[in-house]
Formats: sequence, C-alpha cells, structure tokens
Amino acid sequence: MSDWALNLRAGMARAYARTVGATREPSWVVFDVLLPLLGVAAYIYYYRALGASPAFEGFVVLGGAMTAFWLNVLWGMAAQLYWEREVGNLQLFMVAPMSRMALLAGMALGGLFTSAVRALSTLVLGTLIFQVHMSVEDPLALAAVFSLTMLAVYGMGMVLSSLFLMYGRDAWNISNLMQEPVYLVSGFYFPVRELGLGVSALATLIPVTLGLDAMRQLLFGAASQGLLPVWLEASMLAVQAAAFFLLARFSLDRMEQRGRREGRLTLRWQ
Amino acid sequence: MAPAIEVRSLSRVFSGRGNTLALDNVDLTVEEGELFGLLGPNGAGKTTLIKILCTLLLPSSGTASVLGHDVDADAKQIRKRINMVSGGEISGYGLLTIRENLWMFTQFYGVPGKVARERIDSLLEAFGLQDKADAKLRTVSTGQRQKMNIIRGFATDPELIFLDEPTLGLDVSTSIAIRNYLREWVRERSGRTMLLTTHYMREAEELCDRVAIIDRGRIVAVDTPAGLKRRVGSGSSFLIETTPFDPEPMRSLPGMRGMTARPADGHMNIRMVLDDESVIADVISSIVSSGARVIGLSKNEPTLEDAFMHLVGRGLE
Amino acid sequence: MAVKDHLRTLRLAAWLGWQIESNWARPLIFLTYSFIRPIAATLILVIMYLIVKQDVASEPALFSYVYLGATFYMFVSSVVFGITYVIHADREHYQTLRNIYISPISLYVYLIGRATGKVLLAALAVIISLTFGILVLGLPFDLLLVDWPLFLLTMVLGLACLIALGLALAGISLLTAKHSTSINEGVGGLVYLLCGAVFPITVLPAWGQAIGLTIPVTYWLELVRRSLYPGEGIELLGGLQDFTDGTILLFLLVSTVAFAALSLVLFRSADRVARQRGKLDMITTY
Repeated sequence: MSDWALNLRAGMARAYARTVGATREPSWVVFDVLLPLLGVAAYIYYYRALGASPAFEGFVVLGGAMTAFWLNVLWGMAAQLYWEREVGNLQLFMVAPMSRMALLAGMALGGLFTSAVRALSTLVLGTLIFQVHMSVEDPLALAAVFSLTMLAVYGMGMVLSSLFLMYGRDAWNISNLMQEPVYLVSGFYFPVRELGLGVSALATLIPVTLGLDAMRQLLFGAASQGLLPVWLEASMLAVQAAAFFLLARFSLDRMEQRGRREGRLTLRWQ
Repeated sequence: MAPAIEVRSLSRVFSGRGNTLALDNVDLTVEEGELFGLLGPNGAGKTTLIKILCTLLLPSSGTASVLGHDVDADAKQIRKRINMVSGGEISGYGLLTIRENLWMFTQFYGVPGKVARERIDSLLEAFGLQDKADAKLRTVSTGQRQKMNIIRGFATDPELIFLDEPTLGLDVSTSIAIRNYLREWVRERSGRTMLLTTHYMREAEELCDRVAIIDRGRIVAVDTPAGLKRRVGSGSSFLIETTPFDPEPMRSLPGMRGMTARPADGHMNIRMVLDDESVIADVISSIVSSGARVIGLSKNEPTLEDAFMHLVGRGLE
Repeated sequence: MAVKDHLRTLRLAAWLGWQIESNWARPLIFLTYSFIRPIAATLILVIMYLIVKQDVASEPALFSYVYLGATFYMFVSSVVFGITYVIHADREHYQTLRNIYISPISLYVYLIGRATGKVLLAALAVIISLTFGILVLGLPFDLLLVDWPLFLLTMVLGLACLIALGLALAGISLLTAKHSTSINEGVGGLVYLLCGAVFPITVLPAWGQAIGLTIPVTYWLELVRRSLYPGEGIELLGGLQDFTDGTILLFLLVSTVAFAALSLVLFRSADRVARQRGKLDMITTY
C-alpha cells in the first residue's frame, strides 16, 4: 500500500473517531449549542449597557462563533497528544506506521466539523435572538477567507500539538494561558485596530486575528474598521497556513525523535 | 535470512534524579517463527527492551534490529510489519464501540476496509467478544477492554508481535483461552514471530519455544524451558513445609541457590534450590534452631521457577 | 460528628488542597498562568468599555461598576469550579475519592477544605487586578473611604454563598463525569449573565431580571461595589437603588442561607443516587 493511501485511511479514521465520539450522546446539542450563547449574550448586553452601536453586537456574534474553532484548536488539537499519552493511546499511535501529520490532520478535520456545528448555531441563533444585521455581499470572498483562516488556525494547532507533546502539565496551562489572552489581542469582540497599530500588528501572528478582521470587513463593511485590506489579509493567511504546515511537520519529527530519546512518549502524570 | 530480532550490546539509561540503568549490555537473537519469552521480575528491563524494539524508545548505546531494519534509522519500515499489546492497558476511546476502536486502529496500518471488517469479526469471535462488539468501550469490563486490545494487536496481521504481560490481571479461564490463541497464531502460518514478556512462570513454560531470563537489565540465560530446567540439576529442588518462622536468614546459608517462602494454612511452604542434596541437612538444622518444626519435606523435579531461582537467586514474587 | 472532627477535616483538606495547588515545578510560571487568564478576561471588558466610552474619567461610577464586578467575578470561577474540580480530580485523576468516601470524614467538609487553596489564589488575583485597575486604568479607590465592616461582612456571606453553589454543583458532578465541565461552564455563564457581573441587570429582559434577583451573587456584587466605591452614584446603576445597604445585606443573608440549605439537600441526594448507581469510583477515559 502506498504511503498516500495509508495516510488517507489513517486521517479519515481519526476524523471519524473524533466526529462520532463528540456527537454520540445527544447532550452535545445542549452543551455545544446553548452554552456558547450565554457568553455571546453577556457581551451583547454589556455593549447595550454601554450604549454601543448595533454593529458591535454583530462583532460579538461573529467572535462568539469563532471561539468554537479557537477552543477546539487549544483543547482538541494542542493539548490532545498530551491527553492521548495520559490515557495510553499515544504509544499505539507512535508504533503505527502512518504519518503523524495524517493523524493530526484527521484530528483537525474531525474537530473542524464538530466546531463548525457549534459556530454555525451560535451565528444563527445569535443573529436571530439579538436581531443582528450582517450582509454577505461577496459570499465567495467570505468562503475563501473562512477556509484560509481554518487552514491557518488548524495548522497552528498542529504546531502547538507537536510542541505540547513534550510538556507535561504545562501543556494544560499553556492552553489555558492562550484562551482569554488571545480573545483579547485577536479582537474577538471588537475591531482589533482599536488595540493600536503595534499590538494589532503583533496579533496578526495569530491567524485568527487576520481571519476575524477580514470576515468582519466582509460582513459589516465600514463599521468594522479593518486593519488591512481583505486581499492582503487573505494572502497573509495563505502564507501562514503553508508555514504552519511545514513547521508542524518539522516539529513533529523533532519532537518524536526527542521523545524516543528521552523516553517521554509513554510517560504519564508528569 | 535475517533473524526477526537481533540485539547487540544494547544499553538504556534513563536520566533524571540519578541515572537508572534499565538495560545493561544486552545481546539477544530471536529467530523468525519463534515464540520467544522474556521472563523477569518487575523492573527487570522487559518493558524497556520491548519499547526499544517497537520504536518507542531509542537505545543509549548498542544496536537493535527488527525484521532486518535498524530501530533507530528505519523505524517506519519496522512499524508497518509489527504491532504491540501491553497487558492491563486501558487505551482506546470510551465513546466509540469496540468494533469502531478496532477499525480505527486497523486504518492506522492501512488495512483495506473489507479485510479489516472480516478480520475484526473473526477475532471478536475467537476471543468471545462478539456480543460486546457494538458496546461503547467505556461500558465494558476491564477484562473485555484488555481482550479488545489483544485483538487490536492481531487485527493488523503483523509479522512480529510484541506482547507485554498480555494476561496480566485476567481471570484463569480467559488467560487459558488467550494462551491457546497465541500458540495457534504462531503455528498457523510460517514466518510469524512473537516476543512475549511475562512474570507468570507457567505462561512462559507452556507457550515459549525459548525463554530469556532477564534480571536488573541483564540477560542471565537464554534457552528452551527444558534446557533451563536441566541447568538446575536433579536432586537439588526441595519443598519443605514448616511451622511459621522467619526464613529470611536461611538465604545466606552456604549452598543455598535460591528460595521462596509462602505462608499457607498456618504453615510455611518453602521452595528452594540447593547446590546439591547435602545442603538440606544445614537447612533443616537452621529451621530447628529457629524454633520451628519441619512438617513435610519433598524432593521435586525442577520447574522453570526453580530454574529462575537457580539463576537469579530469588523467586519472581 | 463533633465540630472538632470537622475542623480537623477542614484543616487537613486545606493542607492537601494547598499542596496540590502549589506543587508546581515552576511556581512563578504557575502563578502567571493563574493570573493572566482572569486579568485578560477583565481587560477585554476594559477595551470594550474604552472603545465605546473613550475614557474612564467621564463616567467613573460606570467604569467602577464594570471593573469591580469583573474582578470579583474571579471568585465565582475559582471557588465554584474549584470545588467541583476536586470531585473530578480525586475520582478520575488521583483515584482517591473512593478512599476518602469510605473514611469517617464528611465529604462535604472535605470539599470545602480543598477549596481553600483556590480561594487564596483567587484573592491574590483579585488584589492584583484591583492594583492594576487603580494604578494603570485610574479606577477610583480610596482605602480610607472603603466601608470596611460592610465589605468584610459581604465577603464572608458572598464566599459562603459561592461555596454552597460549588458544593451543589459538586453533588451533580458526583453523578456525571463527562458533562461536569460543561455544567460548570453553563452555571458560570448564567451567573455572569443574570447577576449583574459586568452590566446592570436592568438591561436584561424582565424574566432575566427576575431570575437574577433570586440569586445571592447579585446582592453580593452590589454590596461589594457599594462598599468599595469611594464616590456616589454607583448604587444608582444596578437596579437596586430603592434598597439600602442593610436591606440588601439582609437579602444576601437570607438568599445565602436558602442556597446553603438547598445545596446541602442537593448534595445529599446526589450522594445517595451516586451510591445507588455506582458512580463514586467511575473512570470515564472517554
């Protein structure tokens, strides 16, 4: 069997396991659909209490939807291999012949699907309940920007995943550390330009910043106070996606070799 | 033809608080088609050796090759042709069914869908797990979970399988069924090789073509179970039943090769391997001088346990 | 069981909790992790505030309302989720819950003790956040103008109420392993939304306000703001301007007692059901 066929099978199997595992029990609908709405509602009421313009409520709904993917990247990708080691699966993955990239790509694909349900429900329900107005004037551009954002964000997840392979409890802490602070610097709930050019420019290193900013521009027009032109942000996302995939590949090889040398692929409770 | 496993001067040091020498200059050859056992107490280095051979761990020095490929340079070539199972492992996804878990792992080895399904069905039947095939993994018992993991190892039809304590913690009837399957699997088709680690003497004695005894990271002896037992020599293996006392000081008696003592029904059963028959007189006087009484004494045909005591100087437990 | 025994359990569990909380290879990094996340969450609100209002000085009472609420909400997440997490960690991670359960100590008291470490860390995070607010953001604050008796009384009752809420959720966690984090997230989200954590409950629909008024956290946060804010006008923002500090304190006391009683009943019944269904030593590894 060619390596391509093997890796395709492995990736699809991992994606299937993740999707089925996440949606097997009906309670996931309650938790994945209703919980994110609570956060969105709180931020919308907050803006209302401050007397902000209605466009900001739209930013909150969009940001709330995108948190689904960011949370999935942090907890379902970055910290995942560490967790797999804790339950004893990692050594079985490592003994198997498939490429580690196929495994991570499968995890990403499965996670993308389940997070998309959470994101879409937040978007639809948030828009309906809070009467948010957004107009999709260029659906192709929006689809392209969204796809590039996902490639770059999950590419980043793959890099983090390989790095976290080597860290014990710290992996959990780093994921924690990257939750709210990234909501802050990436402008999940407000135009990132408001943070000033210096901070915004640094924040573009996190692909979700660029993706959010471009999508805000495509959905809310001038009110979104875009940081850079959409085409430029899309190009930067494409470059980031390619860079993260290459980096993930390199980093996985290095980390696996280091893990084998130090005997850390099978250690638990570090 | 290259041996299935060839290990030369292999050592592994774990660094940390004080370096631990887990494997110390190990040499070992396992031929293709062999059912080979690694017998040793906990912490002897069995699992470390398996991890190195399975490409999970790199040696600190020395070389190891599996199916003709070096474990360091050609890990990928090895992985396509091997599999491993650890006893007592709880891996797998609890929300997936047993069948789904097994299917997923076959896909990591690129087994075509139809072949995978047929193989999984026949293995589920062979291990009496077909009733639980569609149960979520988290709802099944520990024993069933362990069986699933053994099936997982065989479902990819490896040329060489590593089994690390496969029957650990399983009940007697399940252990017997699994041993039967393992024996069948190796014999069924030529070219299949199995490396089994265990600390159950009977398992090693029943199953293995050859056994390596490993202790404190060193291979002490490699032979057939019969060959190992012959090393003990007839007339030097004894079982003594006594009233309770502390038998530990007897370990240092001249001529005492190894000893295990187990309390039973208010008595003490002491199994020992001696240099020769004449040492038994000193043993009995030592018991009597400790204030205990000898209730029974019998001379036995040496077992693998005696061979182990003879070589290592103590029992496995 | 004698009070003396409960106190011993409390002390022992607090010691254990602190050992676990502080047992990090690099304590400095751990502390950073513990504080950066809640402070970043507060900063999101500050940025949102500044985007809309431009500065802090023009409406100091409103800014204080937001900032104090967001800061003291850190206690909610730390205490409530800290207690529930003990069930999860002791059952699945350390696998000691069964041993603690069959010992003669009260699990209820043990959980309170284990939460102490979390309370201390939360208190530290709150102090850091307040200092940051005062020094960097210009949060109005004057130590001499703080109504200390009201503040201390409020904190005692508020923490008691949060512990009661945490114990009720811990009871639910005894029954479910997989959903315990999501339940925490849900309850945390509801409290944040309905109790005027960062915005006055008056912007909520009427039914939302009605629910908010039954939860003691609403009164606790209101009194924290009133006792800490040096000027006037903060009491006009939360929708409770018709009530004096004393009346709200009474509401807080009554609702906290009711919550504590409810939590005890809930915990006991969950405990019983968990025993019936064999959930006390459940390990999911899902």
